[in-house]
Amino acid sequence: MTDHERIEELLAVRALGGLEPGDAVELEREMASHGPTCAECRGLAVQLEETAGRLAFALDPSPLPLGMEDRLVALAREGAAVVPFRRGDRSSTRRRANVWRAVVGVAAAFALFAGGWALRDLTEPSTQVDPALALEGAEVVTFEGEGGNLAIAYHPGVAGVYIFGSGLAAPPEGQVYEVWMIQEDGPVPGPCLTPRADGSLFTYVHAELGTTDSMAVTVEPSSCPGAPTGEPILTADLTAL
Amino acid sequence: MDAVPARGRETSPPGETVVTVEQLEVDDRELLRRLGAGDEEAFRGLFRRYGPSALALARRVARQPFLAEEIVQEAFLAVWRNPHGYEEGRGSVRTWLMGMVHHRAVDAVRREEAQRRRAEDVAGASIEEVEDLAEQVIEEVDLPRERRAVRAALGELPEEQRQVIELMYFGGLSQSTIAERLSLPLGTVKSRTLLGMRRLRTALGGLER
Repeated sequence: MTDHERIEELLAVRALGGLEPGDAVELEREMASHGPTCAECRGLAVQLEETAGRLAFALDPSPLPLGMEDRLVALAREGAAVVPFRRGDRSSTRRRANVWRAVVGVAAAFALFAGGWALRDLTEPSTQVDPALALEGAEVVTFEGEGGNLAIAYHPGVAGVYIFGSGLAAPPEGQVYEVWMIQEDGPVPGPCLTPRADGSLFTYVHAELGTTDSMAVTVEPSSCPGAPTGEPILTADLTAL
Repeated sequence: MDAVPARGRETSPPGETVVTVEQLEVDDRELLRRLGAGDEEAFRGLFRRYGPSALALARRVARQPFLAEEIVQEAFLAVWRNPHGYEEGRGSVRTWLMGMVHHRAVDAVRREEAQRRRAEDVAGASIEEVEDLAEQVIEEVDLPRERRAVRAALGELPEEQRQVIELMYFGGLSQSTIAERLSLPLGTVKSRTLLGMRRLRTALGGLER
């Protein structure tokens, strides 16, 4: 087997969606052994992803259901993200408390959030959210980990979650941060995020966290996969509230 | 499909207007650029252009119409949220989009598969469910150029390579599941996949940007 053949074999399977977790780890290890400047590795990945993506066009297109385009645009306008968080309601069994006063660690990030840059985002027409939601009586949960400062603010039982952060490193080229809601039946994908040049981040997700036990952030390909492919770099426990 | 500039069109079979893939890609990148600036019409344009193919893919892989719509919706909302996630050096816009749809659809299938495996042994069932696209090459004569090219490329693959690739991509099956269902060593599935993908890459190379 040549120097790149094993990588090519694994990339081919990954491009077709057939890779399993053990092989994904091996692929990462192989790629890492060639280093980030391996042009052949990068070229193979691009070519194989392109080839696999073309297969989709072998199918006859499906007529779009009536109104699907307008529904999609309405959802996009509404909050740029729709995640089926609520799969049953266990919120009444959850112990919740306002942690505004308790979360000291988030103070710096939240001061930045409330101090101006976040509000500029909130006032953009496309977000169509009320800035007061984040500033009055919301619960704040901080993430733990090494990736920087990240927190969420939300009102239990009300759709709308603000995600904000500071000191976040830029993800590697071609990758983004993906937020996951960990529920009984596994992780549910949330938004994919890229911090600003100064490491800050703010976004709004139109979702309700009623059945989410914890949240996690992983570094993922910019395609925003539907299931995590890496280990969490940041986690937040929502059951501890 | 939404209107595209006249340049880049080429002669095609009667009744069919074809936009070259090069022009398609230029238009797609322009739509993404406009989307990055918050242009809702660009978002609609992208959806009109690729929504039908995305829905076909999601339906084929997930096999549930309502789930397929949800998958397509999720993928396009991800584009709306992060149009800058596309990088020019990593392939075409259309395959990037289809990749997002495919990842989500495969994930849905895997979840369902895990549940089903616990309940029953369905060895062989999915093989019959995955239609052989190559057989449609002769029947379909009025397809856009890209569709014809991809189907022809699939049709030129040796049967055993095509079967593995179609089960993996359109069936959403992992390589070990395919090995199990076809009663093949895992190494054989891997080598057939690699050889088939190499052939496809060569065959489709002429249409790439």
